[in-house]
Amino acid sequence: MFRPKGRTVVITTATLAVLLGVGLAATLLTQGKSNASADGIIEYQQRPVAPDFTATSLTGATIKLSSYRGKTVVLNFWGSWCPPCRAEGPTLAALAEQYGKRGVAFLGDDVGDTPANALSFTRGIGIGYPSINDPGYAVVQKFSQVSPVSDTPTTVVIDKSGHVVGMVLGEVSYGQMTTLLRDAAVVQ
Amino acid sequence: MTDVHTPASGPEPVTEQGEATQPFGGGDTGAADGGTGGTSQPSQGNAGWLRWGWRQLTSMRTALILLFLLALGSIPGSVLPQQGADPAAVQQYYAAHPALAPWLNHLGLFNVFAAPWFAAIYLLLFTSLVGCVVPRTFKLAGAARTPPPRAPRNLARLPHSSTYASALPPGAAVEGAAAVLGGQRFRLRRSEAAATDQGSAEHWVSAEKGYLREAGNLLFHLSLLGVLVSIAVGGLFGYKADKLVVEGQPAFADTVSALDEFHPGRLVSGSDLAPFSLALNKFTASYLTSGESRGQPSDFNANVTYRSSPGAKPASYNIRINDPLSVDSVKVYLIGHGYAPVFKVTGADGKVDYQEATPFIPANTGTFLSDGVVKAPSSGTGEADLGFMGVFVPTAIKVGGTLESIFPAADNPAVSLIGYSGNLGMNSGVSQSVYQLDTTGMTKISGSPHLLLPGQTWQLPGGKGSITFVGVKQWVSLAITYDPGQMPALVCGILALAGLLLSFFVRRRRVFVRAVPAETGTGSVVTVGGLTRSDASGGFEEEFAELAAEIAAAESVKHPEEGA
Repeated sequence: MFRPKGRTVVITTATLAVLLGVGLAATLLTQGKSNASADGIIEYQQRPVAPDFTATSLTGATIKLSSYRGKTVVLNFWGSWCPPCRAEGPTLAALAEQYGKRGVAFLGDDVGDTPANALSFTRGIGIGYPSINDPGYAVVQKFSQVSPVSDTPTTVVIDKSGHVVGMVLGEVSYGQMTTLLRDAAVVQ
Repeated sequence: MTDVHTPASGPEPVTEQGEATQPFGGGDTGAADGGTGGTSQPSQGNAGWLRWGWRQLTSMRTALILLFLLALGSIPGSVLPQQGADPAAVQQYYAAHPALAPWLNHLGLFNVFAAPWFAAIYLLLFTSLVGCVVPRTFKLAGAARTPPPRAPRNLARLPHSSTYASALPPGAAVEGAAAVLGGQRFRLRRSEAAATDQGSAEHWVSAEKGYLREAGNLLFHLSLLGVLVSIAVGGLFGYKADKLVVEGQPAFADTVSALDEFHPGRLVSGSDLAPFSLALNKFTASYLTSGESRGQPSDFNANVTYRSSPGAKPASYNIRINDPLSVDSVKVYLIGHGYAPVFKVTGADGKVDYQEATPFIPANTGTFLSDGVVKAPSSGTGEADLGFMGVFVPTAIKVGGTLESIFPAADNPAVSLIGYSGNLGMNSGVSQSVYQLDTTGMTKISGSPHLLLPGQTWQLPGGKGSITFVGVKQWVSLAITYDPGQMPALVCGILALAGLLLSFFVRRRRVFVRAVPAETGTGSVVTVGGLTRSDASGGFEEEFAELAAEIAAAESVKHPEEGA
């Protein structure tokens, strides 16, 4: 039974079985995880081109991403229903105030929401910059083709040439945003 | 499983060489005693024990036991509520069985399919099957290539035999027989000298047919491996997701953050999701309105509009139970439904803080009495957040002061609300369930619940604002699944069955022809012997008789003057 040839077969089989088994185990026991770095910022070595879109704001204005070319853009995906979005709201409002003067444009993308709830949110927190009315996550879907906007909130920074610098998944901090905005100014 | 043993009755077809009766296929391929033997004793040393353990693990018996355990282990998964499928049901179970539930949780019974013991069973089963199937595949491949054995010396001792006198010399007689057998698509093996040396002592031909049996066996085992690989591929590249959609809501795009639950395979990333979008136009549930089973659902229909990609043309579909929508190779199933009352909440400053269809979760699936909460964070400075706990009843009646539902359809909808004001805790950034209200920072607005019918408004006392029950919409819960292994698994399953049938119905049979010079000096005596391994269904006797007659007759047709 265990002639040399038989042993080879057994070893091959065992290896195969173990490999396939481990693969199956890995499949069924774990789930896909994002690869955020220690400071929670995902930054690109090779900045992908941000997908362009034309959408309508919560107040009915037309917003076209490519019309922001020449400015650094902070694009924040949020919803009034999401507590981390409410928590980071004041930080973003303050950053918009501070960096708006230096030519950084802030833009919101309100997902899974109704305009009434969203406007109550911006009014309550004091956010002055426009937000896209995106109840069905259409802009998110477009963006996900280049950057995984897999969480609400997610904040993406786009450089002056329309390339994605990086992003923060989840609630942003002041420090994370200043890091990304500083890096956005470095032309690649 | 795939082989039938040599007939136990009848004379033992043992020959001097013993070769003719060597196992068909040149080795033991009997599935009944397991791939590499089931019960052999361990030899000495660690290697021996390992070898013994491996043999035990890869035996068919172990595989069957593991398969049984897998089925057994799945039972709690279908009897008890599961965390992955229905977390709310698990919570309800905890509430109903406070003593038992923690113990069940320790055993992983609320998440059976992710429990370590369940993983252990399927990993062992997988190893067992692979360890059993792979070596056997090699063996069967070898068996399918093995030429027939040498003809035994005494063909008359085989289970089937016949003898006739030939006018031809032995070599030519055997050649004639070989031509007949070859014409019947037997695989042949001739005596080394038969074709050349007329004076040689041995003239025989061995013929074998029914290699399709081994091919079928091989197909079965390879397909079995194919099924396993397909399942693994499905696990690696597939995904499952849930999404609750309310009637009339704008289409949602299939993207990770839009989904309520997302369970990707190991090699799935967010950008791999099918780029479709889907909106629920109308959901219709029909219920029986009379008889004993009044209120039982008779039909569900979710009319949806979808686009297979952002730029594609919109299409319409009616998703029903067991009739999923197929789009971009994913399937969208209808798995649940409920009511979403539409509320409009105005704050103390008179501005609208909340206007939305709010999904309520059915607490009673018979009457669709449903629970839900409304959270309206404040928008003005110094204004308090408003929160409401609600009960929705589709067909309301008052029973002794309490609101009850008597029918699942929304014939007379009403909501009963308890109001709170204060701090909802949403600005702290800590995620919370949209179906639960954290009242720690809030105070009750009124003592008793407030009943609202569609269109009615409750002016909150103390100028805190108001809430209007605008109307009712329905929601559906959709399961979005992508399993690239499904089709290959089906194909492999069918092939496995085909292989199994082939190996059952095709018989491996051998025919030997041996000729010796006749004692009279001219011509020869030809003996034809036949052997089949699996003769359970009979029939070989007739086939053999026909063959033997044909072999004898062929000669007389070929050489009529000599045969006369």
